Amino acid sequence: MELSFRNPFGIRFKLVFLSSFLLVIPWLGYQYILEMEQVLRRGQEQTVLGTAQALATALNERPELFNEGSYTPARRSEDLYVYPIFSALSLDDGALTDWGEYQQYEVMFGDKDQLRTELNPSHYYGRDETLSFRTMVGEHNGSLYAYFKVVDDEIVYRSRDALSVHRSDFLEISMLSKEGNAINRYVVAPHEPEYLYAFRVADGYVNPIHEARISGQWYESNDGYEIELQIPMSMLGDRLGFAIFDVDDAERRYVNTVIATYRVADAERLGSLRLPTPEIDRIVAGMGHNNSRIQVVDRSGRVLLSVGDIQSATGLLLSSVSDETPVNKYWLYVQNKILNPLYYQFLTKPSNDFIDDLYSDVSREGSHINSALGGDAATQFRTLADSQTRLLEAAHPILANGEIMGAVVVDQNMNGLRTFRNQAMETLFNTMLAVMLVVTLGLFFSASRISSRIRGLRNQAEGIIGDTGRIQNTIVPTRSSDEIGDLSRSFSNIVERLTQYTNYLENMSSRLSHELRTPVTVVRSSLENLGLTANNHESAVYIERAEEGIKRLNLILTNMSEATRLEQMLQTSEKEKIDLSKVLPGCVEGYKLAYPDTKFDLDISQKEIFVNGVPEYIAQLLDKLIANAVEFSYADQSITVFCRALRDHATIKVSNAGPNLPQEMQDRLFESMISVRSQEKQDQPHLGMGLHIARLITEFHGGHIRADNRQDREGVVITVVIPLYYRKSG
Amino acid sequence: MSRRIAIVEDEAAIRENYADVLRMQGYEVQTFANRKAAMLAFDIRLPNLAIIDIGLENEIDGGFTLCQALRSLSDTLPIIFLTARDNDFDTVSGLRMGADDYLTKDISLPHLTARIAALFRRQDVINQPPSPESLLHRGKLTLDIGRLTIQWDGQPVALTVTEFWMVHALAKYPGHVKSRQVLMQESKIFVDGSTITSHVKRIRKKFMLIDEEFDCIETVYGMGYRWNITPETHN
Repeated sequence: MELSFRNPFGIRFKLVFLSSFLLVIPWLGYQYILEMEQVLRRGQEQTVLGTAQALATALNERPELFNEGSYTPARRSEDLYVYPIFSALSLDDGALTDWGEYQQYEVMFGDKDQLRTELNPSHYYGRDETLSFRTMVGEHNGSLYAYFKVVDDEIVYRSRDALSVHRSDFLEISMLSKEGNAINRYVVAPHEPEYLYAFRVADGYVNPIHEARISGQWYESNDGYEIELQIPMSMLGDRLGFAIFDVDDAERRYVNTVIATYRVADAERLGSLRLPTPEIDRIVAGMGHNNSRIQVVDRSGRVLLSVGDIQSATGLLLSSVSDETPVNKYWLYVQNKILNPLYYQFLTKPSNDFIDDLYSDVSREGSHINSALGGDAATQFRTLADSQTRLLEAAHPILANGEIMGAVVVDQNMNGLRTFRNQAMETLFNTMLAVMLVVTLGLFFSASRISSRIRGLRNQAEGIIGDTGRIQNTIVPTRSSDEIGDLSRSFSNIVERLTQYTNYLENMSSRLSHELRTPVTVVRSSLENLGLTANNHESAVYIERAEEGIKRLNLILTNMSEATRLEQMLQTSEKEKIDLSKVLPGCVEGYKLAYPDTKFDLDISQKEIFVNGVPEYIAQLLDKLIANAVEFSYADQSITVFCRALRDHATIKVSNAGPNLPQEMQDRLFESMISVRSQEKQDQPHLGMGLHIARLITEFHGGHIRADNRQDREGVVITVVIPLYYRKSG
Repeated sequence: MSRRIAIVEDEAAIRENYADVLRMQGYEVQTFANRKAAMLAFDIRLPNLAIIDIGLENEIDGGFTLCQALRSLSDTLPIIFLTARDNDFDTVSGLRMGADDYLTKDISLPHLTARIAALFRRQDVINQPPSPESLLHRGKLTLDIGRLTIQWDGQPVALTVTEFWMVHALAKYPGHVKSRQVLMQESKIFVDGSTITSHVKRIRKKFMLIDEEFDCIETVYGMGYRWNITPETHN
């Protein structure tokens, strides 16, 4: 037998494998949605830019909104920028923590900001480097808030009984009056860390009058003191300045150093206040756009106004998606617990709890703003590092008199779009999963069906020819009209014809013997008649020879039909319980008589070996085996008949010493008309029916027979295995 | 008056060969090629013995039909099936039809004539009292060699001539093993071993119809059969 390579992949596997190409479809869907997202993003970009443009158009040509005043870049450091603060601040909490992140926008004033005033004589000027402060000014709910972190090595408070307010460490607040023509000055000079008690002073720090509208607190810190204060916006003109006066000698109480936010204390040169303009506010609010964050920045990138917050600025209205019809809770469970974790392995779901580091409420930077301030509208995408949020930012310049006044910045986060995309993806994946599941299962089942039908056909085809090489079964043709049905029908047809042919061949010997018998009878009876009538001696010799030939011919015919006759008899025979240990010795005794030249060894140790069978047939079986063994045995070699009951089988072995079996005949030895005899052995007719009959009898007893070469020496052992007699219970 | 033998055989050569031999033996022989011709003749006059082939021209079982018809005409007419069919089934069928013997065409002509003579003899002596010298007693068995009949325990056993000769061969020397070959020679048939086996079976059955305990014919596996004069006692 040559080894045939067996393809391990069945039809089912192949179909399922092919169906895996269906996975391309969700991939295409995925790509499509990504493409769509791109389009939507571009759309969003345009929308955002459009919004920015619309706002910018509304703000165009209104330079007064930006209220530049005398603002020039050269004097920028004197300007106090009022940052919009969006949370309430507490003045009496003794700490600056409530200022939170606004503290990063504080401005440092130090040695170089020293101011020469009437209080500090010229010889002290520029000598004290221990004093500095940082300040931050903000606006919230109609009030100006400010804090000062003052570094001072020696804090000198106003003495309890002093009437003057300028002979201690103090804070001077200078502001242009609301009318805009005079500078009002206020002094905060506490006796100790306490709630602020501000005085309005005239020139020369005389006539201090309590100003109740200024409130706040003074408290000490590790390296100096801190002041928080609140001034109602109604007090303020559009210029403001702060100065810290430092007294280091508690005895003499001269002012050593003054550090101020301004250079010269006059109405023109005091730092200007940068205030959000309510006009812009109204215009922006008029846009009614609450799905984006809109900011207006001035030329230096400082935020004048901020509407909306970036967390909720999704750019899309998602409410319509959320009000779905109530779904099956099992499906919901599957969706939430199984599918979504799977999907979000590769889909990003940005949270809305992101913090925009770069972005403050105070100043804005970025290429889009730079571009807008340079005159070109621009958009940009920015991904926040900590979360996976992407922000879409658009900036459009605001022009006035051909000059760029600032820019409108419109921001949206992309979470809305992302969520929208994710929902589309989920739907797509769900649909695809369902479709693929159905298609794959369908393919699997149809492939299974086909493969099982083919396998059934194959099993039938394999079952046609039994172990003995005979046609045992036929193929039942199926009625299905497809190719497999066709195959089954044509197989059935082939097998039917093959069966007929085989039957014809199998019956040929018996038919032949039957057909030949009549002419043989004619010849023989004629010869006998001749023999009876002839009195010629010479012719009697020939008649005798002819009769001899006829006798042999007759023997051949008998042998030829023996197998067929045996089969017919086997069909009607009834088995009985017989003891092989009695049958075999009897037979062997007979063989000793029949073959006087051959020695027989009987090897039966057990007393009783019961099988269910017909003793005559067992004897006939043994006849054939012995005849065979004797014929192939070398002279003076004994033939061994062995019988044992092993477990549930009786094993009969007939072994002789003689030539080995030809290799190629070993399997076919028990087939009809097969003989391994060499030509010189043919002194009497042999049709190769002997072992065939032995096989028929063995199979009748439910056993099997095989021939092997002996292991110990040259020779052949024929083994017959028959099931032991089994008494049914009861 | 010479005895008339009818041969119904569709093969002309065989028919004539047999007829010639029988005529030489002094019998009057009628030959028929098919059942119709035979029946026409038999309706007019019955032969003393009929030799019938089973397959007759286009009638596969024409011989069986003819046998039944003949048996209905006469209960005592000896009928021999002489056929090429040698299977057990046909043998049993033929004998059930009431044939006195079933021979295959392997049989040699002398054997055939011996058998015919035996049948005639049996018929001749059937009404005469048995002569004591021709009787053989073996226990319950009584063989009448002259009449070719057998009695078991005083009851007749309906054996064919072949079967009689087999029993005779066995019972003549009780305890001696007779091989199948010997039995074949003694009963003047030429068949293979398995046919002998089925003959022996049939003989046993016929005895057991009379006596269920009958087990005088013992099989000696591989060698043949022997007659047990003292049957083993049953538990």
